[in-house]
Amino acid sequence: MISIFAYLVSAVIPLRSYVSYLDPGSGSFILQILIATLVGGLFIVKMYWTRISGFIRKLFSRGDNDKEE
Amino acid sequence: MKPITSPNNTQLSGASFRDPSGFLFISEGVLYRQVNRAYQENYEMLVSSGLYQSLVDAGLLIPHDEVAIAPADPQVAYKIIKPEQVTFISYPYEWSFSQLKDAALTTLAIQKKTLGFGMTLKDSSAYNIQFHHGRVLMIDSLSFEQYQEGQPWTPYRQFCQHFLAPLSLMAHRDIRLNQLLKIYIDGIPLDLASKLLPWRTRFSLPLFLNIHTHAKSQKRYASQSIETSRQMSKLSLLGLIDNLESGIRGLRWSPSGTDWGDYYEQDHNYTQAGFTEKQRIVASLLDTIQPKTAWDLGANTGLFSRLASSRGISTIAFDIDPGAVDRNYQECRATGESNLLPLLIDLTSPSPSIGWNNRERSSMLERAPADVIIALALVHHLAISNNVPLDRLASFFQQLGIWLVIEFIPKSDSQVRRLLVSRADIFPNYTRENFEESFSAFFKIHRKESIPDSERCLYLMERL
Repeated sequence: MISIFAYLVSAVIPLRSYVSYLDPGSGSFILQILIATLVGGLFIVKMYWTRISGFIRKLFSRGDNDKEE
Repeated sequence: MKPITSPNNTQLSGASFRDPSGFLFISEGVLYRQVNRAYQENYEMLVSSGLYQSLVDAGLLIPHDEVAIAPADPQVAYKIIKPEQVTFISYPYEWSFSQLKDAALTTLAIQKKTLGFGMTLKDSSAYNIQFHHGRVLMIDSLSFEQYQEGQPWTPYRQFCQHFLAPLSLMAHRDIRLNQLLKIYIDGIPLDLASKLLPWRTRFSLPLFLNIHTHAKSQKRYASQSIETSRQMSKLSLLGLIDNLESGIRGLRWSPSGTDWGDYYEQDHNYTQAGFTEKQRIVASLLDTIQPKTAWDLGANTGLFSRLASSRGISTIAFDIDPGAVDRNYQECRATGESNLLPLLIDLTSPSPSIGWNNRERSSMLERAPADVIIALALVHHLAISNNVPLDRLASFFQQLGIWLVIEFIPKSDSQVRRLLVSRADIFPNYTRENFEESFSAFFKIHRKESIPDSERCLYLMERL
């Protein structure tokens, strides 16, 4: 399954090369792209959720402040 | 990092040779870093982008000055920088759980900040992190490179091996497993970590992905060449960093409820007056000799170490107990202590010289001497529990420090009797007279003070 996903990811992205003194490791390199694609999606959700919940919290606290005034 | 003398008489660091960006060298006793021309573009970006200043201001990177001294290797030199000196270089296998966790989170915090300036970390070695004046920071100023959109994180595997694997093993299997870092210089192999971790850790998404699946992927693609041109978006990279951070933050270890849990209660047999007097005597001895550095051996949670550190003495509190070291570190962190560094050490087998050519990581002895060694309620553990003859103990302490504040506890004391409960007393030479005679061959005894309401004695000695 890993290899199919890796193929799909690599197939849709243009090629580019990097030079590094560390060996990233074949398995680590491929898996990293898979994990990053998966958790990247979760990260977007998390980011927006933080913003939305922050907005709602602010809205309610403003409501409370208005009442106090 | 034991130095190697180069042909032009500068000393090259034994730990700094892998990265062609530059290397450390010592000239006239001062540590410098040569920046090679190969790294010029990245170095200029580090400074001109404002990343260097931002990291230094946040206490995340060691500050340095550019200096005009002769390069150690002029053929490839671009610049020489002089980093602020770190008082004591320590290693991940000498850190407690919280120390390694803070080092991991610091590495990720640096990576996140670095990405904001259009650069990325090109390595994530735990050995690049040090504890300096109460802060956790990076000491390798050449670890940054320009970030290219789509570039994966090259040191991902290194981060998992250096941080995530040992921390998850410590949290989920056994706190002592950080000692595997002594054997595996580039971090714990992930297949080993995966094998040793309990099965239930597969229910943690960060551990399932970054340890267990990672280990499988390494095996699956071990002998295959890869197309290193594959890309991932910056958002995906931030997601990966966020996932690693969640994984690290979710790992916890507490000494309570473990073998180490009950060790910290007042476990001594002094009267309150005797204990107060012991503190007064140690403080007075420190005031007499005015040391700049102190190593407190067998420091437990650092009660006596703080007599030194509170006097502005740069102090290391060594102890064999991972729980005691962790508690001490958390106390340092909570109170913002800048002169005290708790470290884990087994004095019966102190940290050895390891790595390439046995020179990458220095032994405990190679990092000596301290101005003063403090050894309270320790001699009986080494002389009786570890069968070390008193003259060998004296020789060991002589190599570690210039001054010695040491306590002798006779056999009649209940703490020593406890050590002899389950074994034959084969220590006829363990007497105060023999102790003084053995140590006199290596030290001059300046002062001897009895602790009230006990048979214990404190000595101030200076090495011959």
